[in-house]
Amino acid sequence: MSTTPAQRFLRDAAEKSADLVHRELIRRGMESYDAAHLAGRARIKDWEAARQKCQEIKREAINHLDRYLLQFEEKVTSRGGHVFWAANGEEACTYVRNLATRLSVRTVVKSKSMVTEEIHLSPALEKVGIKVWETDFGEYIVQLRDEPPYHIVTPAMHLNRGQIAKLFREKVDPGIDSDDPAYLMAAARRKLRQAFFAAEMGISGANFLVADAGVLAISTNEGNGRLCTSIPRIHVVVTGIEKVIPRLEDLAVLWPVLATSGTGQGITTYSTLIGGPRQPGEVDGPEEFHVVLVDNGRSQLLADAEQREVLHCIRCGACLNICPVFRHIGGHTYGTTYPGPIGSVLTPHLAGIKEFKHLSYASSLCGACSSVCPVKIDLHHHLLQNRRNATEAGATKSSERLMFRAWRSAMLHPRMYALGGWSMRKALRIIYGLGLAGSILDPMRVWNRHRSPVPLPSESFRARWRKSLGAN
Amino acid sequence: MAQTENPSRDRILERIRAGLGTVVPEPAATRTERVIFEPINNPLERFQQECVANLMECSLTADCAASAQQLAKVLQSLPEGEAFLQDDPSLRRLVELAASRRTVRWSSEGAPSEGSQATVTLAEALIAQTGSILVSASCGGRGASVIAPCHIVYATVAQLVPDLATALSCMSQQRSLDRNSFACVISGSSRTADIEKILVQGAHGPRRLVVILQTGT
Repeated sequence: MSTTPAQRFLRDAAEKSADLVHRELIRRGMESYDAAHLAGRARIKDWEAARQKCQEIKREAINHLDRYLLQFEEKVTSRGGHVFWAANGEEACTYVRNLATRLSVRTVVKSKSMVTEEIHLSPALEKVGIKVWETDFGEYIVQLRDEPPYHIVTPAMHLNRGQIAKLFREKVDPGIDSDDPAYLMAAARRKLRQAFFAAEMGISGANFLVADAGVLAISTNEGNGRLCTSIPRIHVVVTGIEKVIPRLEDLAVLWPVLATSGTGQGITTYSTLIGGPRQPGEVDGPEEFHVVLVDNGRSQLLADAEQREVLHCIRCGACLNICPVFRHIGGHTYGTTYPGPIGSVLTPHLAGIKEFKHLSYASSLCGACSSVCPVKIDLHHHLLQNRRNATEAGATKSSERLMFRAWRSAMLHPRMYALGGWSMRKALRIIYGLGLAGSILDPMRVWNRHRSPVPLPSESFRARWRKSLGAN
Repeated sequence: MAQTENPSRDRILERIRAGLGTVVPEPAATRTERVIFEPINNPLERFQQECVANLMECSLTADCAASAQQLAKVLQSLPEGEAFLQDDPSLRRLVELAASRRTVRWSSEGAPSEGSQATVTLAEALIAQTGSILVSASCGGRGASVIAPCHIVYATVAQLVPDLATALSCMSQQRSLDRNSFACVISGSSRTADIEKILVQGAHGPRRLVVILQTGT
């Protein structure tokens, strides 16, 4: 029987939250992130002012998206680069695949890009016989496991060094005899160096597209992004249209804020700016330079007065890291390209509200995500709005609608409410008494399946209020 | 240059413009200019502190002869193999003074190779706030700061700017990105923390980033 994304989500969430090894790994990972993130924020004199500034920069960019994209395009084209506008993932993949075929590309090196995950670019290239190497260390690890990234910044944080050493022994080099992270990185470096020098095409994403300078900004720590964009003779950038920012000077605050929110660093090790192919007189660099601007549903969000600001996201991963739900169920459970709070808000817009409305409920609405977002996206309210939108679009089950109708009339009729409470207490007492808590007959099954039942009160709240509380 | 075929370009732009037609109520802008970053009073001191935090090596030298001596010392500490240098008169002079026996390859002869043990370049600027060096395609090309296990930067104190904002606005004013297809703010050696968040120095790029910072002429 085929399962829906919502059913898969519930099954995987139950499995992952009971996996204590996984939880311990994530707990330790997040603890070290928390410490670095707090220390990083403390180094910025006025963190709130920094967030405010970033929000204003992104708002200005998104509110004049057409103008800034055209400005960017003009600059890139004037340096001999190409800009391709892709309405959806298929158009983007076809463009890159045709380009690769036309230029006889056999090997591609990729640096980290979530947009290429979103549009499934690697499988599209592999289908025509092109070898694709993920070169970010974490991405390389999950590629070897044939898995999607677990997290948008640290793709392999769900694995420990022992698992990675074993994987490397099987897939990279049978002689691997240590699980020391530096040793494993060195093994990956040796392997990937060959790929960098063999590849004809490098594919990267972009953290920002700077309109006035006509350059893209890429932040990487490992240097793989630098190699992908320096050595192969073709460089293709695949990125979302919302990545644009107005001015080069905006990076003076965006770079530190992105790094602080992503890893707690003051700035990412390599903050690179690239504006085109190798220019006359330059020592090296690609001969061909292509930017693929992907829409894929983003322009529709512009018309959403409540949620346009979702396009401000700079993909730092802070909302994932702070989210108590993410910390328990992990990244893969979401079953989406973008996990965590931002993914739960965004995915229904990109992939359909009916199939992905359940993600809006994978939140306690505690607001931690909104409080850390470096561009101040009101994430938890957007989750609430998605719940409302799903209901208004008729995407809810008829049984659910019936229940809420009953609830509504009970709330409007105190006697009916009291009767409901009384009969529920009676019924549950019988069910619990028969040892049927958590069984199919238990109306509280969803809770009681994995937990001991909450003790039943002997009388209603109204009765208690009348007796004691109300007396004061 | 052939025009890129763009069947969806106008459609996407149309959709963007239609979407932007929706009025989004904006919160009242708080136009009070707040100071985001601590002002930097002593750029040199700050630069040195940040270098330590970024796991970079920074040595202050008094003059050209001392810089050459420092360069020779660093080169001597590296395994056998050629050194790649940005072809610039100041670096030619420095190498002459350093009198290293190592094979030298100049950027005018092409890009650095996989076998290069070190690359030696100049910088466009040094940034105190983040302990960074700013390089561009003019500094020996793109590969010069990333291919070899050790990147050595020869700079003078006069190139030090207090913060990112100053560095970026200088780039804007001088239109340096119109002349260079590439620039990079480098803040330390290449690194990763992808396994259990444990920091590993030396990922795909250099394990060592050495700044020879000359105070005099």
